[in-house]
Amino acid sequence: MSVNNEKEVLLDIQHVEVTFNNSRHHNFKAVKDANFQIYKGETFALVGESGSGKTTIARAIIRLNDTSNGEILFKGKKINGPLSKEDKKWVQRNIQMIFQDPAASLNERATIDYCISEGLYNFQLYKDEADRQRKVDEALNSVGLLPEHKSRYPHEFSGGQRQRVGIARAMIMEPEFIIADEPISALDVSIRAQVLNLMNKFKEERGLTYMFIAHDLSVVRYFADRIGVIHNGRIVEIAESNELFHFPIHPYTRSLLQAVPMPDPEIEKAKVLKAYDQEKEDRTAETGSLQEIKPNHFIFMSEEERPEYEALIAEMEKYKEN
Amino acid sequence: MTELNQDLFEIEIADDSESEHISAPQYSYWRSVFRRFFSSKLAIFMMILSGIVILLAIFQPMISGYDPNVTPNINRPEMKYIRPNATYWFGTDDVGNSLFDAVWKGTATSLFISFMATAITTVLGVAVGMWWGFSKRVDTVMIEVYNIVSNIPATLIAMILVYAIGGGVWQLIFALSVTSWVSTAYFIRVQVMIIRDREYNLASRCLGTPTWKIITHNILPYLVSVIMTSISRDVPSFISYEVFLSFIGVGLGQQYASLGRMIQQYSPYMTSTPYLFWIPVAISALISVSLYIVGQTLADASDPRTHMI
Repeated sequence: MSVNNEKEVLLDIQHVEVTFNNSRHHNFKAVKDANFQIYKGETFALVGESGSGKTTIARAIIRLNDTSNGEILFKGKKINGPLSKEDKKWVQRNIQMIFQDPAASLNERATIDYCISEGLYNFQLYKDEADRQRKVDEALNSVGLLPEHKSRYPHEFSGGQRQRVGIARAMIMEPEFIIADEPISALDVSIRAQVLNLMNKFKEERGLTYMFIAHDLSVVRYFADRIGVIHNGRIVEIAESNELFHFPIHPYTRSLLQAVPMPDPEIEKAKVLKAYDQEKEDRTAETGSLQEIKPNHFIFMSEEERPEYEALIAEMEKYKEN
Repeated sequence: MTELNQDLFEIEIADDSESEHISAPQYSYWRSVFRRFFSSKLAIFMMILSGIVILLAIFQPMISGYDPNVTPNINRPEMKYIRPNATYWFGTDDVGNSLFDAVWKGTATSLFISFMATAITTVLGVAVGMWWGFSKRVDTVMIEVYNIVSNIPATLIAMILVYAIGGGVWQLIFALSVTSWVSTAYFIRVQVMIIRDREYNLASRCLGTPTWKIITHNILPYLVSVIMTSISRDVPSFISYEVFLSFIGVGLGQQYASLGRMIQQYSPYMTSTPYLFWIPVAISALISVSLYIVGQTLADASDPRTHMI
């Protein structure tokens, strides 16, 4: 971890486990032994299929879900489990979330003015009414909306506009860390870039750190600095974005990458799709752990599998050289 | 054909904010509710009708000063059982009092009982229901209370209570609302549980909004139409319930005038002097139906899904 030692760890997830109790599946483990770090100023993407536990991890960080094991450290301070009132407020101030469905995540009966100032009211982040108005106007302008929208209701907006309201409401809190839970998957393809550019703009202006959740690798390729791949509640591979796309090692990552369509019909036709073999993971589940197979490239494996993966890397490197 | 030249064109500067502009007129929730409500002719008619009934019930007894215990004409047979005419609009009753005065006094009592019982049921039911929907600990207790209360016939409880504490107006209000709020609370609890974990409430929690503020700003506004429906069902049902209890003889005592008392008292006259029986029945039905339709239309109008166009 030579490179990363210089970076400041903002969020440290250690052996985190989230368990749901309900009558059907007793003690269903949605997240199993998650370990990863998010460094200050980077965009960390968590990619996985529906039900893989990516949203559950995000909600555990922001304290919407309880953890059953492990520790979540934000700036070195434990933020999971029981906390004092001040600590809870500190987490709410510093970690904010952008939700997946902009239609569902805004209060339909409240004006945009209230939606955006909700955090300001809760934390008394304004001196007087004029100061609050100014802050709301600023927040609206920063996401490309107009101050005249304040008296409007969420249902009067388009999907992209609503998502920008959602971003403005998170940004007005001036957080350090933002969790974006599939912020563009409910949006029209034509306005996805607009929202991603807006998020990038805020990242540059305010030095934010993002955790970006997606189910589609093609989206995060240009947006994320590092990518974690999660499957069935287990993180199977973590690597830098370029590294992951050039050297996908874990079989699940490889099958995910295959699912990204190529804009060339000839290649698409010749593509042989390999389905991911779940049994393999089941075999390694007991003995395996997240291990560094290349510098800054971690995969979930057991010791016996190491030669197999190393052979794969050698093969890929040979292929890349040619 | 005119020649194309420079003068025909002008430079237009693209303005991104132009596309953000919303041209639709300002939306206001309550204005839309009233617009929607007043678009129904039947509802306007019923509202005027119930308005007249309520005003008559409030002011007519003040003018007439009717008291069922004061019977100046009891020994004048010529004053009894006069059919409705220009002087006595609803005729006179078995003790020679004007039925018009008696009916409005009775309506006032019945409406008062029904409105009070509805108010208690709604306020208590909504408050407890909100708490019930949010707290697991309250849920474990309240669900047992609900199971017990909903399995004992409400009529039985009301009857026993009226026997035990007497047949006054306040006693009857107490007897009617002592258990009815539990079912309203249960109804609200289910609604709260449905919308409690919706994403916009999670978003509010992430923004640090305390639970009471989530209830007042996020949940209650969504339940306006549900609460309106419950009120519009409760008012007529309490009127009928008062009539029913008085009719079977466990409602108000002899000294009170109420629609239920009158219907019970005059049911033997159904064939001899039918107006004595049918006028209170008609008034009771009129109030129930008109208030129910007004309430239901208001409940529909307060659902924002009906506000489109």
